[in-house]
Amino acid sequence: MPAAGLKYIGKSIPIHDVREKATGALRYAGDLKLHGVLHAKLVLSEIAHGRVKHLDLEQALAVPGVVGIYTYRDAPDHPYNSHQWLEGMEVQKDELIFTDHVRFHGDRIAAVVAETREASERAARLVHVEYDELPAVIDPEAAGLLNATPIHASGNHIVHKRIACGDAESRMRDADLVIEDRIETPKVHHAAMETHGCIAEVDAQGTITVRTPCQVIFQVQLIVSQALGLPMDKVRVLKTTLGGSFGGKGQPILEPVAAFLALKVGKPVRLVLDRTETILSTRTRTKAIGRVRTGVDRKGRIVAREIHMLVDTGAYCTNGEVIPMAMGKKSFRLYQIQDQIFEADVVYTNTPVAGACRGYGSPQICAVTEINLDHAARALGMDPVEFRMRNLVHPYNADPAGGPSIGNARIRDCVTKGSDLFQWREKSARPKGGGRIARGIGMACCTHGNGYYGGFPDFITVDLRLTPDGAVVIKGAFHDLGCGTVMTMMQIAAEVLDLDPSSILIPDADTLVCPFDSAGTQASRVTYVCGGAVHQAAGELKRKLLESAATLLAEPISGLRLEQGYVIGSSGRASYQEIAQYAQRQLRSDLCVNLLYQSPGNPASYGAHFAEVEVDRITGRVRVLDYVAVHDVGQAINTGFVEGQIQGSVQMGLGMALMEELTFDARGRVTSSRFSRYTVPNAPEMPNVRVALIEEGEESGPFGAKSIGEIATVPVAPAIINAINDALGTRISVMPATPERIVAAIQDV
Amino acid sequence: MRLDFTLNGAVLSLDIDPGLRLIDLLRDVLDMTGTKEGCGEGECGACTIILDGVAVDSCMVMAMQVRGREVLTVEGLEQKGELDELQRAFIDSGAIQCGYCTPGMLMSAKALLMRTPEPTEHEIRSAMAGNLCRCTGYLKIIQAVQKASQMQSAHHA
Repeated sequence: MPAAGLKYIGKSIPIHDVREKATGALRYAGDLKLHGVLHAKLVLSEIAHGRVKHLDLEQALAVPGVVGIYTYRDAPDHPYNSHQWLEGMEVQKDELIFTDHVRFHGDRIAAVVAETREASERAARLVHVEYDELPAVIDPEAAGLLNATPIHASGNHIVHKRIACGDAESRMRDADLVIEDRIETPKVHHAAMETHGCIAEVDAQGTITVRTPCQVIFQVQLIVSQALGLPMDKVRVLKTTLGGSFGGKGQPILEPVAAFLALKVGKPVRLVLDRTETILSTRTRTKAIGRVRTGVDRKGRIVAREIHMLVDTGAYCTNGEVIPMAMGKKSFRLYQIQDQIFEADVVYTNTPVAGACRGYGSPQICAVTEINLDHAARALGMDPVEFRMRNLVHPYNADPAGGPSIGNARIRDCVTKGSDLFQWREKSARPKGGGRIARGIGMACCTHGNGYYGGFPDFITVDLRLTPDGAVVIKGAFHDLGCGTVMTMMQIAAEVLDLDPSSILIPDADTLVCPFDSAGTQASRVTYVCGGAVHQAAGELKRKLLESAATLLAEPISGLRLEQGYVIGSSGRASYQEIAQYAQRQLRSDLCVNLLYQSPGNPASYGAHFAEVEVDRITGRVRVLDYVAVHDVGQAINTGFVEGQIQGSVQMGLGMALMEELTFDARGRVTSSRFSRYTVPNAPEMPNVRVALIEEGEESGPFGAKSIGEIATVPVAPAIINAINDALGTRISVMPATPERIVAAIQDV
Repeated sequence: MRLDFTLNGAVLSLDIDPGLRLIDLLRDVLDMTGTKEGCGEGECGACTIILDGVAVDSCMVMAMQVRGREVLTVEGLEQKGELDELQRAFIDSGAIQCGYCTPGMLMSAKALLMRTPEPTEHEIRSAMAGNLCRCTGYLKIIQAVQKASQMQSAHHA
């Protein structure tokens, strides 16, 4: 159903390429067949830390079909940081295409290029690597110690960050109670069903074209050009259909490698990873260990809070300097806490590299603070919902840390609506069950942003054109990760121009075709910022359309209106097609708009999740019986997409809460590098999720819309952990809460 | 080696490398890339096809094992330009996001409906237990299978 008074906004229209997905006709990067393509296979480190002493390629080179083997000796020595998305950003450049100082199990040493996939795989297995193994640092709490083996020349401690407001230290002394916790969130694999892969080729002029499932084409262009020492105009990037990303395909990982290999062999090179390679050698969610002290008074008001996050970025820095700030900012925008200190230290470890992952630090900080708040409520003898309601922000409250306006912040509505739907009060009154099966309920609140405004440049340029056959073409660097970005943009333009979305075309992102976008499909900026751009550009196009129509129909603009592909006047009407043709023939003009849109703000999005669980005290198994998720989205552009984002987010958060974690042996080798040893929730484990939306409108967003895709995964793990702790009276604080950890926690009670 | 089998209703006779997995035969030799690979160890179900009426992971089957048997892939669901009811139900229910798991999901669901035309929700969840999806949280997929089952029943009534 569309929203009141609107035709397309709010309507659940299927994703734009749904038919091709349903028939299997759509080709993802790994499905593309390029003429003369060669196959690359990486040689990855089998140890967590060491130096390559000797590389024996003889047997591998003898495999029939092998074209070449390229190693750290051949690759250019241009360090880069794959997280950099804008030229000139200050970043720690510590990555190379290949390295002989391997820093994690899965670090890249070399690649084989062969005529067939089989030959490349066989040869890669025959590359013999001898290492001088070094002690591996796996525990982030040990990484900064004086005796820890340095992973990089600069040491293992990367940066310290701090955000503060008021005077937390002295206010803490006034608190009636201080509740302290140490809470750990795991290193998680994104587990997009499509593994990582890309194809690179070089033309006769030396221009490299990379076809890749990515989130930011201009970032891929920048990183490939940096890594290879080429001008940016020598690199063209085409986004392919994404089989899921969740941040995992945000940083260019394979693109510089494939581009380098293509340059070496002068032919197209296909580099597609298998699942194990994807788990080991791409990106993970950042592991964090949070220490939090919350001071409260007897009335249930939070008087002060001190948070310290130890952030484990893995073997390379990537976004390690940015993610603690993303975490910290959130802790000032959810509750009214005037006196608060947030600090973070970021360290290297010899573990797979962390990067962006749905929520970008928010799920970690939310887990730390929301589990702690439940402990506080319990210590006060107060209901967790009631306790939160005494402290949550109101719309337009100022951010005490000086961040951008939180806007029409409707978290209180989320909590109220969610409590009713979930029947929180009724469920609270139920006995926990003293036998083998215990029942409990838990909830968590969350906040997340809408783009980079206030932190980094956030703008996009888009081109809109009304073609002489009456269609609208929108060119912009949009990357549909499977969330419905393209249809969302179509619905916004459709609403403004009163045109069926099927008459709107949005080509795949291409650096040669699309006008520049500053930041890509990340940071929960697409609906709010890019959608804002399309909304405004469509308005401009409408103005031009009406101007031409006014001449054609010989009527003043003020009397004209749009309806289903026609401009209607008092005496007649003209189709968009007629008007566009008239403009070209008679007015020597084309109905097109090029618009630069600078993000107007960064309001906060909010949500409240509620979980009811059943825990088996003997086996430690958890079943989620009921789940309610309420989100303040401003206005849903496509209600079905919003529900889909929330349901998928709950699944991802459920994995983080109960089962997903990269695990290591004593030498730091990953022991969960395949799906048979890395469990993600499947259909029988997934609870029914009841979704409700608060649609009170965000003034600066297109039709009032704000973000949903990332935030929905933020409160899931703490809501579930709080429910488990409620059921058992435990204080579980390490995620995932596996059956073993739950049984151990029961014994500690 | 010679391999004769039926693929999506057509009888094929091919000379193939006996070392090929079924998924490689489909994707690399026949260029039918609707069937996806997600793990290569039978854990994710992206490569699910139907072999003699049963959903199997094509990464766990050697191509030669289908000799004389009937294989149905996602490309065989559409009949004369008409989508299968399951495909329509997946589209209408919002069960498709990134789409990478979709072919495998469709084939597991198809095998289920072939043997149990009116499955319970529990039966649907169990039948899809070997198919991972990271986008949807499965709920709209389960709804889609229920819807397809209803569409079929209405059709046959």
